[in-house]
Amino acid sequence: MTNYIIRRLLLVPVLLFGVTVIIFAMLQFLEPVERSALYVKDFPKNEKQIEGIIKKYGLDQPIYEQYYRWLVGHVDPATGIRTGGIIYGDFGYSRTGSQPVIDMIKNRFPNTLDLALWTVFPMLSVGIWLGVKAAVHQNGFVDQAARIFSIVGTSFPTFVFGLLVLILFYAKLGWFPPGKMSDWVSQLIFSGQLKQYTHLLTIDALLNGRFDVFWDALKHMILPILTLSYINWATFVRVTRSSMLETLRMEYVVTARAKGLSEKTVINKHARPNAMLTIVTLAGMQVVGLLGGVVITETVFNYPGIGQAAANAAQQLDVVTVLGFAVFNGFILIVANLIVDILYGVIDPRVRLD
Amino acid sequence: MVEQLLNVQNLETHFKTPEGIVHAVNGVSFTLTEGETLGVVGESGCGKSVTMLSCLRLIACPPGKIVAGEAIFRGKDLLKMSSEEIRHVRGGQISMVFQDPMTSLNPVMTIGKQLAEPLMLHLNMTSEQARNRSIELLSLVGIPNAADRLKDYPHQYSGGMRQRVMIAMALSCNPQILIADEPTTALDVTIQAQIVDLVKRLRDELGMAIIWITHDLGVVASIAHRVMVMYGGYIIEEAEVKELYANPRHPYTLGLLGSLPQIHEQAHTKLFSIEGMPPVLYQKPTACPFAPRCTWVTEKCWKENPLLEPVAPGHRVACWVDTKSGSKR
Repeated sequence: MTNYIIRRLLLVPVLLFGVTVIIFAMLQFLEPVERSALYVKDFPKNEKQIEGIIKKYGLDQPIYEQYYRWLVGHVDPATGIRTGGIIYGDFGYSRTGSQPVIDMIKNRFPNTLDLALWTVFPMLSVGIWLGVKAAVHQNGFVDQAARIFSIVGTSFPTFVFGLLVLILFYAKLGWFPPGKMSDWVSQLIFSGQLKQYTHLLTIDALLNGRFDVFWDALKHMILPILTLSYINWATFVRVTRSSMLETLRMEYVVTARAKGLSEKTVINKHARPNAMLTIVTLAGMQVVGLLGGVVITETVFNYPGIGQAAANAAQQLDVVTVLGFAVFNGFILIVANLIVDILYGVIDPRVRLD
Repeated sequence: MVEQLLNVQNLETHFKTPEGIVHAVNGVSFTLTEGETLGVVGESGCGKSVTMLSCLRLIACPPGKIVAGEAIFRGKDLLKMSSEEIRHVRGGQISMVFQDPMTSLNPVMTIGKQLAEPLMLHLNMTSEQARNRSIELLSLVGIPNAADRLKDYPHQYSGGMRQRVMIAMALSCNPQILIADEPTTALDVTIQAQIVDLVKRLRDELGMAIIWITHDLGVVASIAHRVMVMYGGYIIEEAEVKELYANPRHPYTLGLLGSLPQIHEQAHTKLFSIEGMPPVLYQKPTACPFAPRCTWVTEKCWKENPLLEPVAPGHRVACWVDTKSGSKR
């Protein structure tokens, strides 16, 4: 198992290299003049200055040289100041965010992570439970109900579902407001009374022992969580059900029954662990989707996550921000896949191959 | 008087399919006495596996359904037991070994855990006791370094070894009946012989009764005391093994035995085969189900399905024609 994990870890730098090459290649569609905008806050009007920037950042250099500068930066021998270098977090300056892209990620990503974290639990637990239940009682009441639930979920566009719950729970009932937090909470953070250990509001609130803040944060997140869970459940329940049905037809399930094991043991100890492989794959993909920012949900609920910012940047042709997010997303994807791969190893001894 | 261990009467099992209801087992009756080995022979789809699975209520339900019959095991009807009661019979008193050892062990559970399960369940062993017993069992079925191999997963075992594990698992709680559902079909010939020898040795040591389902007539001859030939969900012939091989009566049995290659036969002679395909019965047949493929077929065969009737002591046949004399019954 250790062997397997090490081998998987060794793959990570290779994948990261691949991601950066592809994204850097995309950058090459831009003219040097346009690319010079990557590095400056106020784009100069006069041509001499533009040329200066191009020179300074080596945008007229051969492509491998440029890639190197883009990746690890270039230290000016005279001043000792480093320019560029995404490995140091220098993704350039975001026009739409009016701040360096890395700061934007730092501000936004914890919000997305917070939302993803609270969505994953209901998504996985209810999804697996319902999928297994539906498979075990195939064509029974739960199965039919789950099927309808799934079809409705898949065919419901996110914005429609989001809007519906917003109308019901915010406009009509006034229970769950959109946004990220109430004003008094933001004042609390601004004044430094709420220590930000993790920048995840719910976690920080708990660490500070402020349950009122936690409740406020949760109240703002319930509707997006509900929306995301529901949309994801639809696929999740279907895949879990079919994976489980397939496993239940396996001979070793009959063997387990023939041993005299109770139906509960047969399902929980023999069938479900085998069905988990497919489930883990899908769960990994869905979590990546959540971490990359969920544009529509964040927009509908005016939730300041990474998806909302990315959509905004794309809309305003803010290439620098979009590409910065792309690198970041690639990174998330690689990490998530790594986790999924390791989980495979845990679940399935055949994968370990040691 | 030898005690009757299992008495199955008029067992009928149906399967619901999109094409209609398939009559897989159509009123099968047989008995099994203590320590006896009963061979069940027939083509794929003749109902031999379903019959045995039905006795333990292991057929998938739905689509399967046991519609009639009884299976008395030590005075109690297996088909009427509560699901709690039958669970104690399964694996404890009647256990099964399946055809394909590659798929019949759970791939994500260690051999040790899988072996320990029935021990802890039926014999109330602690995990420590179960572990020790598992080592004994693996050694019993001839797996070397048993203690080390308990923590291995099925994919680390070869096909023959997996089948040995299945046998060890089936025998772990000293069952009275072992149902072996084509346990050698998926193995190559040398391993087949080893498995047959293993089961024979264990039978002599432990004294359980065996129901050996197969379509390999050679294997049956070497292990069974009595043989039951099935076709289309019916038992069509039943006799002591020597009697059956010496005096086969039913045209189907004749065909089966005739299609075995003979060692003294000249090379390159065409092997005899029974024409046609076994039937899938969507209705309870009113004619003999073998009639379409039978070379002895008479008019009566198309009108009425023959019942299993004794033709000699311990020999029952379901056929309108006496293939020995050629006369009609």
